[in-house]
Amino acid sequence: MKYFRNRSAKREVSETAELVSGKALIWLIASFALLLVPQWDRLPVWLLASCAVLAGWRWLAQSGRVRLPGKWLRSGIMLALVAVYIATVQGRFTVETAASFFVLAVGLKWLETRSVRDFYVLFFILVYLATVNFLFRQEIHWSVINLAGVVLLLVGLQVVNAPEIPGALKSGWRRLGMMLLKTLPIVVLLFVFFPRMAPLWSVPLVSGEARTGISDSMTPGDISSLAQSSERAFRVTFGGETPAYRDRYWRGLILDRLDGETWQQGFGRQFRRPGRVSVDGGVGELESNQYDVLMEPTDQTWAFALENSRAVSDNVKPNDEDLFRFDRPADSPVRYRMALSGQDLPGVSGAEPDNVERYLQLPRTGNPRARALGQDLADEYNNPEAIVRHLLDRFREQEYFYTLRPPAMPEDGIDALLFDEKRGFCAHYAGAATFVLRAAGIPARVVVGYQGGDSGADDEYLIVRQYDAHAWVEAWVPGQGWVRMDPTAAIAPQRIESGLRDAVAEEGSFLENDWTSPQRYGDMAMLQWASLQLDRMNYHWQRWVVGYQGQSQMDLMSRLPGGIGLRELGYITAGIVGAGLLLAGLITAWHYRRNESRDPFSRLVGRWHRLCDRAGVPVRHGETPSQLAFRLARAKPAAAGTATAFARMINKHYYGREPGIGARSELARMKRLLATMKRQAERQPQADRQPPGHPEGNH
Amino acid sequence: MFKAIRNRWQRWVNHRIPRSDQRTFGQRNIFILPTGAGVVFGALLLIMLITGINYQNSLIYLLTFLLGAVAVAAMHQTHRNLSGLELTLIQAGEGFAGDLIPFRLRAVSPRHDTLALSLACDDVVLNQQHIHAGQQSDLSLSVPSYRRGYLQPDRILVETRFPFGLFRAWSWLRPVTSGIVYPNPLPAPDAASTVQDGEQASKSRSIDGNDHADLRPWREGDMSQRVQWKRFARTGEMVIADWEGEQGSPHWLDYDAFAGVDRELRLGYLAQQVLERSRNNSRFGLNLPGHVIEPDAGPAHASRCLKALAVFGLEQPREGGPLPHGTRAGEGVGRPVASGREAAL
Repeated sequence: MKYFRNRSAKREVSETAELVSGKALIWLIASFALLLVPQWDRLPVWLLASCAVLAGWRWLAQSGRVRLPGKWLRSGIMLALVAVYIATVQGRFTVETAASFFVLAVGLKWLETRSVRDFYVLFFILVYLATVNFLFRQEIHWSVINLAGVVLLLVGLQVVNAPEIPGALKSGWRRLGMMLLKTLPIVVLLFVFFPRMAPLWSVPLVSGEARTGISDSMTPGDISSLAQSSERAFRVTFGGETPAYRDRYWRGLILDRLDGETWQQGFGRQFRRPGRVSVDGGVGELESNQYDVLMEPTDQTWAFALENSRAVSDNVKPNDEDLFRFDRPADSPVRYRMALSGQDLPGVSGAEPDNVERYLQLPRTGNPRARALGQDLADEYNNPEAIVRHLLDRFREQEYFYTLRPPAMPEDGIDALLFDEKRGFCAHYAGAATFVLRAAGIPARVVVGYQGGDSGADDEYLIVRQYDAHAWVEAWVPGQGWVRMDPTAAIAPQRIESGLRDAVAEEGSFLENDWTSPQRYGDMAMLQWASLQLDRMNYHWQRWVVGYQGQSQMDLMSRLPGGIGLRELGYITAGIVGAGLLLAGLITAWHYRRNESRDPFSRLVGRWHRLCDRAGVPVRHGETPSQLAFRLARAKPAAAGTATAFARMINKHYYGREPGIGARSELARMKRLLATMKRQAERQPQADRQPPGHPEGNH
Repeated sequence: MFKAIRNRWQRWVNHRIPRSDQRTFGQRNIFILPTGAGVVFGALLLIMLITGINYQNSLIYLLTFLLGAVAVAAMHQTHRNLSGLELTLIQAGEGFAGDLIPFRLRAVSPRHDTLALSLACDDVVLNQQHIHAGQQSDLSLSVPSYRRGYLQPDRILVETRFPFGLFRAWSWLRPVTSGIVYPNPLPAPDAASTVQDGEQASKSRSIDGNDHADLRPWREGDMSQRVQWKRFARTGEMVIADWEGEQGSPHWLDYDAFAGVDRELRLGYLAQQVLERSRNNSRFGLNLPGHVIEPDAGPAHASRCLKALAVFGLEQPREGGPLPHGTRAGEGVGRPVASGREAAL
């Protein structure tokens, strides 16, 4: 009977110990909430809502207001949510669906988080969620949020391991802070020296989310929707002078095929190998004709470059349209380096483009008036240069308007634009101009990219944003090659001289749908300043921390003495880890020793033990102080009194009702006792001779 | 082979941590290994590193290194949490066999806090003890007892997983001082009722020539040991022998009163009688072979008698001897049988 009573008592003990405390849970929930923030616009709303409900449910259950669902209800909820998930995912595998799955797993786990074990499962999943977050967002503020989430988790872990200590939270924070501070040097060294290997296997970051940015087809109206976005497209640092605003034409891609109203790339999409593009091309000092572009992810292969550029870094390659391409889609921020070269580019001065027909293609039917205009121009002037000039004059002189609110022109859009409405955006005019030039027999193509770019903080670099997206025309002029012709420059010179904001100032349509963008409020100096400072911080973060990959590392290493390659980096890393562990061990040992020798009481006891040892009474294991004193007294009777008193004081220290540790007077008394004892023990041999046991020896 | 390794390990640990009532934990006697969660965490870090490599993501590298460094720091923290702790057994408790015997320990951590300490003996765990720097706290650990005698726990596990539960630092306290376990009190066969059977008793006294035994017919509830089986074989009567000692002087509890009964059983009866007498606050003495306690009364006396019963015929366990009494290792681990009870069957 008694035996079993004991058993159940034990089980109770272990069960209560296993239950996770509410104090720990709140940290877990807080961390979860924080880690969801970087994902807020990627996750489906239903998922966010159900996560909030499930976590809230768990929390209410913890405080005893509701009950956790039973097994059946729990299974039901799980099945329902998984079904919704499967229905929304529909078999697509992208990073978003994978991340959603993680979040769903965490959300469902809330209902079963009862024991410490469940807590750890959640801890692990959440740490990996933070990892996944870094795949999507690398800006400094998102990184801080992510790390804060992880820190909350670590605080929660401390709470779950010692839920009941008063003041645990404060000391927990302090302890964690000290840990992070102490390990910071090692972390930094590892970060710098850990060899940045090539990916072990190909893992494209397939994203199902459409990115903001220019696309590979252009229907009039596309770019005007881009004009409502102030998201960053890329940032450029120039080694020398920054070109004038009107010369900042960032060529991205060429659309040469008109399909109805839509301009497209003539060649089909290139075959894409899965894999990753090297993200940190361009290392070392910039030369005066060079510039670095730090491009935001586009999920496309195209790179943006000024006219007359050549590639310096090896992660971009020129193609036959004088454009630059990555090997693989840029799914994370990429840095590449270009150089501005002189005027004579190969291909520009060539006699004829390789396949002229491509640049003369027009749909069979449609836009008869524009066709007629082209014919007339061709009849009137036989010189392509003159035709181009005349067309530009027409745009400049007639009442054409540059607007972000163009009217709908559903049929024969180009005719409507050129002859009736005369209101459009750059894409409209670029398409129309190309159409007319082709109708006049001049090879022409639409170029899509960006034009302009504003200075960042202290003019350190240019920021090119989505609203800088632009489309213009290149026409083939024999003897001169491809010549840029920008109808927008003729219609709204402000757009080219100082940007979209000024061009549509009258209309007031600049970023009219984007209330949150700081760029919208250009007249608020403080806001602009703050926004630029934040951008600069992010730029350097991106440049030096996020972008610290293989090439940057190799560049840094090449500045250090000794040829450091990947292999050496491996050795260095191993050395850092080893040295770190060793150092930590040494510090612990030192602490231990210091503590041991610092505790005055144990130091006194140690001295006493050594004294006994010298007196021929080695301390035995498990001996009480009184026993030792007794044996010492037998060996050295002169020290009997002091030894007994000393032992009594030790006993008092250990077993006394009143904690007497550290009391100065007691320690001083013990010290005196020990000194006396020492004298007595050493005097012993002389004392030995005096007892009447050996009188003969003396006489 | 597994058992051999285990034995070797135990011997090594016993050598490393000799028996002592007082121990200061330090590098020489603290063991530390990752917990299950710690191993999973290591695997997670590896997965994170691979993720970082494959996606060429510097921030994932950074997070991995950060968490790895924190884990190493946590290892040291866990070790440090236990290191410097001074644990002294100040009182080994007393109690009846089958009970949990309280052992009082004094814990002092001179320099820094020792948090979330757990002590365990067999499978009784004392969790979440916090010892703050420079303060002494007394802990009471219950040690399960299985039979009467000296209770010397082979090892008291002293363990902490603070702060993150990724590592577990532990050591053992192997006390010298033993607790005392009294025999499990057993109701003695009812002596009072036999007195009424005077007539029959005097008749049966000549039978068997057994002078100090009363014989009476078997009744429900009598122990089978006490049936006179020889007589049963001869006559077919179930007869119970009641010994005179029970009716003897009420002041004396006599070991010899239960002639022919198993020793442990006798001690159990005597323990019950001591308790009864003590409850009635009557004077009594205890007569054990080789150990006589003069009649007295009061709780101190009762406790003295119980202690005498507990250690009757046993020697105080010593360091270095065979596995001490009261530990389960000597009985085959995990056999959930109270050995005192076993002897009675």
